[in-house]
Amino acid sequence: MSAAPETGGAAADGCAPGTPLYSEILEFLYREAALLDDSDYAAWIELCAEDIHYIMPVRTTQFRAQGAGFEDVSFFDENINSLRTRVARLQTESAWAETPPSRTRHFVTNVLVNAQKRPDEFAVAANFLVTRTRADQGYQMFTGRREDLLRRVAPAEYRIVRRRILVDQTVITSTNLSVLF
Amino acid sequence: MANARIQGKASQTGTRLRNGEDLASIVRPEEGIISRRIFADPEVYELELERIFGRAWFFIGHESEIPERGDMVARQCGVDPVILVRDQAGVVRAFLNSCRHRGMRLCRTDRQRATTLRCPYHGWAYATSGELLAASSEHHYGPGELNKSELGLIPVARLGTYRGLVFGSWDPAAPSLEQWLGDMRWYMDIIFGRTGEIEFVGVPQIWEVECSWKFATDNFTDNFHVYWTHQSLVELGMLPSEPDFASHGHMVTLENGHILHFVLGPPLEAFQGMGLPKSLWPRFKEHLDPAQAQIAQAHGYSAGTMWPNFHWLQLVTAGDTKSEPVGILNLRLEIPLSPTRTRMYSWFAIDKSAPTDYRKISYETYVRSFGPSGIFDQDDMENWEECTAAARGPAAKRYTLHHKMGIGRPIDTTWPGPGTCYADSYGEMTQRAWYAEWLQRMREPAPVPTSVQRPRARVSAS
Repeated sequence: MSAAPETGGAAADGCAPGTPLYSEILEFLYREAALLDDSDYAAWIELCAEDIHYIMPVRTTQFRAQGAGFEDVSFFDENINSLRTRVARLQTESAWAETPPSRTRHFVTNVLVNAQKRPDEFAVAANFLVTRTRADQGYQMFTGRREDLLRRVAPAEYRIVRRRILVDQTVITSTNLSVLF
Repeated sequence: MANARIQGKASQTGTRLRNGEDLASIVRPEEGIISRRIFADPEVYELELERIFGRAWFFIGHESEIPERGDMVARQCGVDPVILVRDQAGVVRAFLNSCRHRGMRLCRTDRQRATTLRCPYHGWAYATSGELLAASSEHHYGPGELNKSELGLIPVARLGTYRGLVFGSWDPAAPSLEQWLGDMRWYMDIIFGRTGEIEFVGVPQIWEVECSWKFATDNFTDNFHVYWTHQSLVELGMLPSEPDFASHGHMVTLENGHILHFVLGPPLEAFQGMGLPKSLWPRFKEHLDPAQAQIAQAHGYSAGTMWPNFHWLQLVTAGDTKSEPVGILNLRLEIPLSPTRTRMYSWFAIDKSAPTDYRKISYETYVRSFGPSGIFDQDDMENWEECTAAARGPAAKRYTLHHKMGIGRPIDTTWPGPGTCYADSYGEMTQRAWYAEWLQRMREPAPVPTSVQRPRARVSAS
C-alpha cells in the first residue's frame, strides 16, 4: 500500500530543496503545523480540500519480504465531512479527551517534494514527530512519515488533497488519537 | 448469590489481603459496593493473574482471521502470548508462543502464513500442528536426552469455537466452552448469526491506555454514561439531547458473569434491524428462532460482555454530522499489562451477506466513531485513565465506588430470552453481576500447577 508519487509534470529539479517552490511548500507545512499546535482548528480545516482523503493505516509487524506492514484497516479514514465533524467536536467544551486541551508540538522534517502530472499538484513526503502532553502527565509521542498530495490554489496557497499518515508504531502507546496529524 | 456464603468461605480460601482486609468484605456486589483498592493494587492484580487470567475462558481471535492453512496471528490467551493458527490439516489450534527449548518467541510477526515455525535461537522447528520436527545438533544428544514426541508446542489447555469466535482457557479442568457460555449463546446467535455468518475485517486496532482493565470492562455495559461522556456529540446534534435516550431497552444477566443490553433506538427505520440494510432483515427469520428474530428486528443497539474481557458493541450511528446513521459491529478485548495499564483491541466485523456499499459505509463509520481515534471512544479512555489515577493512593483505597442503581428493580418476566432480565437499560445490575463473578473467581485459589514434570524413572536410570 505504498503511495509512490507520480512524476512527469514539472521538472524534478523545479521543486528541489533551495528552489522557490520548495521554500513555499515548506513554509506551508510550518504554518499548518503551527495552526494545529495553536489549536486553531477553524483555520486548519480551511487548508483541507473538499475532496481530501486523510488516512492513517494500522501497521503490523511483518517480515521484510511482506512490505512495510500497512494494512487495509485504518486508525483514521476521513473525508472533509468527518474532518469538519472532528474539528467541530474539538471546539465544544465537552470533548473530554481534549477538554482541557493537550499541549502538542508538531515537528516536520526531511521534506521532499515531487512534481505530479497535474502542474498544480505536488507529492510532499515528510517525517513527523508529534509530542503531546496532557494534564500533569508525561510526554506521549507519535512518529512516522506523512505522504501528502498538495494542490496549489494560488501563489503560496495550498490545499491538502491527500494525507497518508504512516505511523511507526504497531501498537499506539498514547491513550487515544484525539490529536490531528 | 447469598452473602453468607461469600463471607463464610472467604477466610478459608485465602482472599485476605496482606493488610488484613478480606476481599469479600470490600467487594460486595449485591450491595453495589466495590472497593477502589481492586483497580490499581498490585496485590489484587497478582491474584487476578492467577485466578482469572490463568483459568477463565478468553477470546483469542475469529476463524475468519486465519482463513487458509498455515495462517497464523500472534495474540494472547488471558495474558499469555499465543499463536492462533490453522494447521496444514485445516484444524484451528492455539499454542503458547514460545519454544520448548529456551522459551524464545516463535511467531515474531503479527500475522503470517507458514508451513513450519523455526525458532531463531537454536533452530528448533515445529509443524503448524505443534509437533516438534527437528531440534538443533540432534546427534549431540545422548540416548533419552531428547524425546521429540514430548516436546511439541504447549497447547492452550482448552480450545473452543462458537460462531467462529475462538476461545481458549489455560485450565484443563475448565468446563466446556458450551457450558461456560451457557445461555449467552442464545444472545450471541442474535449478534453473530442473525444473517448467517459474520466475518472480522482485517487486523485489529491495538493501543494502550494507562488504566485498569476493569474500568474498561465496567464501561462496556454502561449505557447511562453515553449522554454525559459523549456530550460533545449531543452538542453536535449527533446524539439526542435527552439524558434518558439510551434507557429504552432491557438488560440481562446470565450465569458465569455474562451480561448484555438491548436498546431501542429512536422510532426510525434506520435504528431497526440492528441498523442493517432492509434487504437483510428477512434473514433474521431464516437464521434465528422467532423470539431471537424479533429482538434483532426491534433493536438498534446492543452491548454484551462474554466474561470477563470480550465485548460486542452493536450500534447505529453516523460518522459525521452530514451522514445518515448506519449499523456497525465492533468487537473489543482488554488485555492487562499491569494493574494500571491495558492493551486494547478493537475489530470491525460485518455480516458476510452484507452488500458492498453497506460494508464500506459501515466500516468508515466504525473508524470515525470507535477505536482510539473514534469521536465516541476517545473520551471513554479519558475516563478510564482518570478513574485509575485517582484509585492509586492509600487514602482512595479506603473508599468504595457506587454501583447501586436499580438494586431494587423487579425482574422483567415478560422478556422472551434466557437469563435474568430487567426493563430499563439504565442501571448497574450488569456491572454487579460482572463483579459477582469476579469475586467468586478471586475466592478460588488455583490448583498447584501440574505442568512441571519430574524426570521419568527410565531417564534417570539410564
